[in-house]
Parts: sequence; C-alpha cells; structure tokens
Amino acid sequence: MNEDWDEALKLSIQKMLPLLTSIIWVALSYMPFDFLLPTNIHANVAVICVYYWVLHRPDVFNLFSVFFLGLFEDVLTSAPLGSSIFQLLLLYVLVGYMVKYFNGKSFELLWLGFLPLAFVVMFARWFVVSIYYADFLPFALLMFSFLLTSAVYPLVTLVNVGIQNKLMTDEA
Amino acid sequence: MKRRRVLFMQLSQIRQLLKKFALVILFLIAFVMMLLNKTDTALIDKTSSVATDVVTPVVDVLILPARLLANAYDYLKDLSLAHKENQFLKAENRRLRLVSERARSLEIENRLLAKLLNYTRPDEENLVTARVVAEEGDAFSHSLIAYTGKDTTAQKGQIVLTEKGVVGRLDKVGQLYSKILMITDINSRIPVMIENTRVRGILAGDNELNPKLVFTPLSANIQEGDRVVTSGVAGVFPAGLPVGVVSHVSKREIRVLPFADLNKVEYVKIVSFPLESQEALSETVVVEEAVNE
Repeated sequence: MNEDWDEALKLSIQKMLPLLTSIIWVALSYMPFDFLLPTNIHANVAVICVYYWVLHRPDVFNLFSVFFLGLFEDVLTSAPLGSSIFQLLLLYVLVGYMVKYFNGKSFELLWLGFLPLAFVVMFARWFVVSIYYADFLPFALLMFSFLLTSAVYPLVTLVNVGIQNKLMTDEA
Repeated sequence: MKRRRVLFMQLSQIRQLLKKFALVILFLIAFVMMLLNKTDTALIDKTSSVATDVVTPVVDVLILPARLLANAYDYLKDLSLAHKENQFLKAENRRLRLVSERARSLEIENRLLAKLLNYTRPDEENLVTARVVAEEGDAFSHSLIAYTGKDTTAQKGQIVLTEKGVVGRLDKVGQLYSKILMITDINSRIPVMIENTRVRGILAGDNELNPKLVFTPLSANIQEGDRVVTSGVAGVFPAGLPVGVVSHVSKREIRVLPFADLNKVEYVKIVSFPLESQEALSETVVVEEAVNE
C-alpha cells in the first residue's frame, strides 16, 4: 500500500516537473542580474519552455499548464494582465499545428523552427499590448528581447532535456 | 435510473464540450483579464497586490545564490579599480566638505529668512529603504518588485528613489512586497519642473529608455543639459527631488535621461511624504488620467 502511495506521489511530482521548472525559469529571468545584462533586455524564457514541453511532453504540459505559466508571468510583471497568457496560448496553438513537422528533428532544426514561432508570438503580444495602450511600444526593445531569447534557447533547452531524461519517466 | 443516466450523459457532454472549447475559453479569459485591467478598479488592484505577494517569494528564494554571484562579481570588479577610485573619492571628499560647510551656512540663513517672512516650511519626508527582488524592463513594461516588509507607511503613489534620483512610484502595495512602476514605464506620469527656469511639465514614460517631458509651454526655453526635478504639484511628492537631465530636444519631443541608473537598482528608498490626505493622492491620479486622455 505504502509503495503504491510512493509511486503515485513520485508520478505526480514528475508530472508537475515541466511546469515547476518553467516557473523557476521565468522567476530566474526576472531576477536582477545587472552584472550580466542591462535591465532593458529580457529573455522570454516562458516561450522557450512552452515550445520545448509542448513539443516533447504535451501529455504532462497541457493547455492549463500553459495558462498557469502565463498567469505567473503576468502577475510578476506590470504588463497588462492576460497579455503573457495570450502569447503563450498562441504559441501552444502554433506548436500544436507544427508538431508533425518537428517530430524527430535534430536540435539545430528545432532551434531554427523556434525562431519564427517565437518572433510571431512576441510580435503578436507586442501588437495586442500596443492596441491596449493605443500607442506603439518600442519595437527595438522587442527585437533585443527576441535576439536574447534566441541566444539563451540552447541553455534553457539543455536544462529541460536534462530534467526530462534524468528526472522523468515515460509513465509520468 | 433512466434519469440518472440522462443526467450523467449531460454532464459528460458538458465536460466534453468544455474540453473542446477550453482553448477558446482560456483565450477569452486572457482578453477579459486585459479589459478588466484597463478599468483599473480597486478590486483588480487588490487582487494584483495579493497575487504579487503570493508569486514573489519564489523569486525571493531564488535570488539568494544569484546575489552571492553578483556580489562576488562586483567585488572582483571593484578590486581592480580600488586604487583609482580611492584617489577620486579622496578628491571628491575634500570638495564635498567645502560644499557641506557652505550648505550648512545656507541652511541657517534660509531658516532665518523663512522666520523673517513667516514662511511655512513643507513637512519633512520619511525614507524607508527596500530591497529590490525582481526587475523587469522590456517593450511591455518597466517595473521593480521590492520587499517592503510589514511597513504600514508604504502607500500606492509614493515616490521611490535611489541615492542618485527618482526611480518611480509605488504602484501596488502588498503585505510584504510592493510593485514599483519605473519612470520609464508607459503608465508612469510624474509632475516635474526644470530646476533653473521652474517650467513645469509631466514626465511621461513610454517604455523607451529615456522618458518624455510633455505638457510644457511652447514658449519655454528648454535646452539639453537642463536639470529636471519633481515639482511637488498636488502635494503628493516633495518638490525638488532630482529626476534627470534633458538629453534631447526637438520639435516633436523632449527626452530626459534619468539620474538614477535604472539598469542597476539594488536598494530603493520609498519617500513616505506626509500626505495631506489620501484625497490628494487620488486627486493626482484623476488629474493624470485626465492628462492621459
């Protein structure tokens, strides 16, 4: 009986791992790392996490995980509440459509595939928030964020691969 | 038995329907959230403050090793510059001693003259220091989250400074953590004036690196290099707090380079200026909203 409980608990934790690690990644991205980068440039790691987990483990990282991650990011920032949720849900839809093309592809191709998707969703958020404020937000900062997001993609993905391979089983 | 089956089927159908339309529903929730956010009601404000209190401890826990890393980096960087900096600080110290003496005599003279003119001096402000836990600056918003603890003097709208100048104002005050809207954020509006000419205006952020100076008279002769300070209009902020320096003047816009290094804010001071009343604050918010419109 106890073993069953242990197993169930283990599985539940494993199922939560993608969301938990994504939350930690998002929290890390908002920490004051001034010695590394200026505050004005921010990597959108939530986009990387959603892309990775929806592509590799859509069974444990579902629509509600995407929504919750977006909500977490929205609460942490001063951007309009719901804008990050919108961005991540859009990515969820796009990755859902593209998943058949990405299946079994190499890391480099997945990285390449990430670039247009990340740009589209970040631009969509920029557009929606610009409408919200009835004023165009600085596009240059968006582009810097996009470039930085593309640059940190391998690092975030590497950690996510490690978590998936070392800490998660196929049953989870 | 039959009825139960019907009910069961209906529930499962509803569940299936919900599953089918979950994506659409969640998209709708996101848009409704944005619309509710736009209304800026007290309920949204309160909910957002509570949510910040719930979410921020995650960052606060993670920040400890990051701070150690940052401090080690700063230590090594400072070490290489220590000798040069020491020479500079010694020279600056000599200069500041002279300035301090001069300031002291001016302060005495000022008090005597104020007494002669029967001038009522504004109330002194209290400063509360808070540690920055999270920071954010991109195309969408520019804000900080600071640990204000159980300080009851922290209120929405209070101005936030570093040792160099104004950083922003308190936007959402939670039980332990408060969100600070930086002067560069698109929602930030601060009444300011040009220090030497006393020309008043509003410092408006637009998520760019340098905020704009708006609502200044067309005839005002504003030039690059002019110092910008808080004007103290509406009695919400103390007047004369350093904000920045005019960095760009053109026919279309005037930009201000903030004195405070907004890229590197570790600790902030929250100016708990004795407000006449909470109405004064809400009055400013109403004025700013009118200005925004």
